[in-house]
Amino acid sequence: MFQVKKEGKRSTGRFVALLLSVVLIASTALGLAACGGNTPAPDSGTASSGSASSGAEPAAAAVELQIFAANSLERALPEVQALYTSENPNVSFADSQFKGSGDLVTELQGGAPADILITASSATMDTAVENGNIDEATRSNMFQNDLIIVKQAGSDVTISALTDVNGSAISKVAIGDADAVPAGSYANQSLFTIGLYSTDSGKGGEYLEGFADKVVIQSSVGNVAKTVATGDAQIGFVYTSDLYRYDDIEQAFVVPADTHKNIVYPGAVVAGSANASEADRFLEFCLTNPDALRIWAQYGFEVAAS
Amino acid sequence: MPQEMRNRLRVIVRTVMVLIVLMGTMLFMPVSALAAGEISLDASGTAAALEGVSFAVDDFARNNKGTARAYEGEDRGYRYPLAGQAAFAAVALEDELLIYLPRETSASFGLDFTEDTAAQENLLALLFALDEANADGGLTLKQLDLPAVFTSSDSVAHESCLIHFGVELEPGYYYATITAEPDARPAPDISKQALFVETGMLVPADTLAIQAAPEGWDAFTNFLTNMDYRPFWVSLRTSLTAMIFVFVLGLAAARLSLKASEHVKDVLDAVFTIPMVLPPTVIGFLLLVVFGNSTDVGRWLIDHGIELVFSWPAAVIAATVVSFPLLYRTARGAFEAQDANMLDAARTLGWGEGRIFFKLMLPLAWPSIAAGTVLAFARAMGEFGATLFVAGNYAGVTQTMPIAIYFQWMGGRSDVATFWVFVVILISFVVILFINLYARHTQKFRLGTGTKGEREERDEKDVKEEKYVRDVKSEKSEKDEGRGT
Repeated sequence: MFQVKKEGKRSTGRFVALLLSVVLIASTALGLAACGGNTPAPDSGTASSGSASSGAEPAAAAVELQIFAANSLERALPEVQALYTSENPNVSFADSQFKGSGDLVTELQGGAPADILITASSATMDTAVENGNIDEATRSNMFQNDLIIVKQAGSDVTISALTDVNGSAISKVAIGDADAVPAGSYANQSLFTIGLYSTDSGKGGEYLEGFADKVVIQSSVGNVAKTVATGDAQIGFVYTSDLYRYDDIEQAFVVPADTHKNIVYPGAVVAGSANASEADRFLEFCLTNPDALRIWAQYGFEVAAS
Repeated sequence: MPQEMRNRLRVIVRTVMVLIVLMGTMLFMPVSALAAGEISLDASGTAAALEGVSFAVDDFARNNKGTARAYEGEDRGYRYPLAGQAAFAAVALEDELLIYLPRETSASFGLDFTEDTAAQENLLALLFALDEANADGGLTLKQLDLPAVFTSSDSVAHESCLIHFGVELEPGYYYATITAEPDARPAPDISKQALFVETGMLVPADTLAIQAAPEGWDAFTNFLTNMDYRPFWVSLRTSLTAMIFVFVLGLAAARLSLKASEHVKDVLDAVFTIPMVLPPTVIGFLLLVVFGNSTDVGRWLIDHGIELVFSWPAAVIAATVVSFPLLYRTARGAFEAQDANMLDAARTLGWGEGRIFFKLMLPLAWPSIAAGTVLAFARAMGEFGATLFVAGNYAGVTQTMPIAIYFQWMGGRSDVATFWVFVVILISFVVILFINLYARHTQKFRLGTGTKGEREERDEKDVKEEKYVRDVKSEKSEKDEGRGT
């Protein structure tokens, strides 16, 4: 018996020692580089579970806001969040989620906890309202954007009219998935005006035969930009603001605003948010704070007139 | 086994080569490709100085858009933020580049920008350099090539619009505003008058400290210091926690399926193994159905306080489910390979099933179980699909390394993605190397499968098993003796 025990223990010990050494090697390699800057928050597991204490909140109570925002806001919004936190130290932000607006609405419906929703089209916000996930009284139009066609930086592709999209020089066009990506449905609306798409709503239709083979569907407007930046598609339909968050793409053509619906970004507080008043205050801050306006202006977001 | 050794060596060499190439790409990626010339540009892209010129530009910003939003209920036209009261503004109009400099600012440098062409050229050179650094793919001043018009007047008429400079709304905040002339018909679109408006402060060149963007090794260390390492810790935390569950559940499942009758065994095995062959999205979908808000089951669980979707526990569950089969299969394989006679011998000596499992089966199968655990750990570290589905992408909470790679790449930060790719390759490499080394270490525990030395190994194993049986026997007799007295 003694022998058995010993064997077992010895191999266990050896295993643990080796496993530890692996973990150590890996963590020192990273830890050294990190310079001790990033220690994982032990309580972060509950950070996003929406279990923040409900009930009456005194003005200075610590609040953590969870934002679901259209993918195109990925660079600009975190800067405004940091600005807000510097002025209101009691408010922090959970890792904001930047995805296709349609995906965010689906996730919200699926039970993902959030305090604020900002989408890139009225239609997606309408869906969230219909789902009962939005406090409609807080809804307002936050930003306007332009739809543009981008090409890879330094590319010699020229687009001087919308019809050039189906020109012989173009073999791949990146467009957002109209069901999840508002930029995709705006693009399809414009394509409808020149007969390349079958429905005027920009959704649920088909691309013209011959053009359909050129279309590369992407799951977010950022992925469209990325596909063009890597040269996997020659051109893509994105917002003006996407230019300023991606390297390696440049503007090729501004899609005429009268060929698609007005591009507005509605924002609203999520129904049942435990931090509704603070969330509302943040939305107001986004639209009125002069320093926030500077950030939006630099990233190419036009704060909506009303 | 020289052939096998050579193969392994070749794999190692190849991996190292890939890693070196990756390191190389990372070194050169952050190096900015800005032309130097006489202009020195700050790393932030907001300041620039020109050699031999008394003024420099600080606090530069390119406003790609403005806003027509009413200020405190009052229509103030379409406005662009300026850097300050003394700031210059460069308005890129359709047909000209209108540059406004407050008279006081010019005077403070002893220059007259509306007349002095040398000063104008110097300012334009600075402006063009800063514009290029901030255009990010938008139209640059260089591309537009507009004729520059300098003014110190704070109200300029352009077509049927008026452009005002230095408009103070909030105290300390200044704007350039574009308004329509009251009687203009049709009313011009004030938001489309300017392509963009650039602004910045003129400062004495000797007070401005320009810090050039770091290059080469400095850029690399800079990159590492500013790196967000949380995905690594999240991955490690998630995988280690998942391993606790995988270890217990995997061994329990292996034992359960061994004990079951033939047909039940096959079914159980299929159930336990299926997560290995299913696409992670299917697992993610099923987990979402069970725990999500959109189904009755999920809602029932949420009503009873089990709210898992898009939280860290969900990441652990996803990692556990996908890595479980790896441990289960290796453990079961090792148990099955054990000599039934030996187990029976233990039974005849009165050992209980639990004791046989913990004192006999487990120690003998240990090398396989250890290798299986490490493999499962690596799988858990690499988990992507199911995690993304049920746990989402929350930095510092559920954003593991594979998820970080995808989102950083798609978010246009390919240098960060490359870093994580490098880390994941390194970890996977170390894990497999570890398994190989450990397997070599414990080869004597196994029944040799190779052609050479098979007999010796088998002999060795027999000796070992005999030893176990002998030990078991001696203990039994000791016990009997004890009972006897």
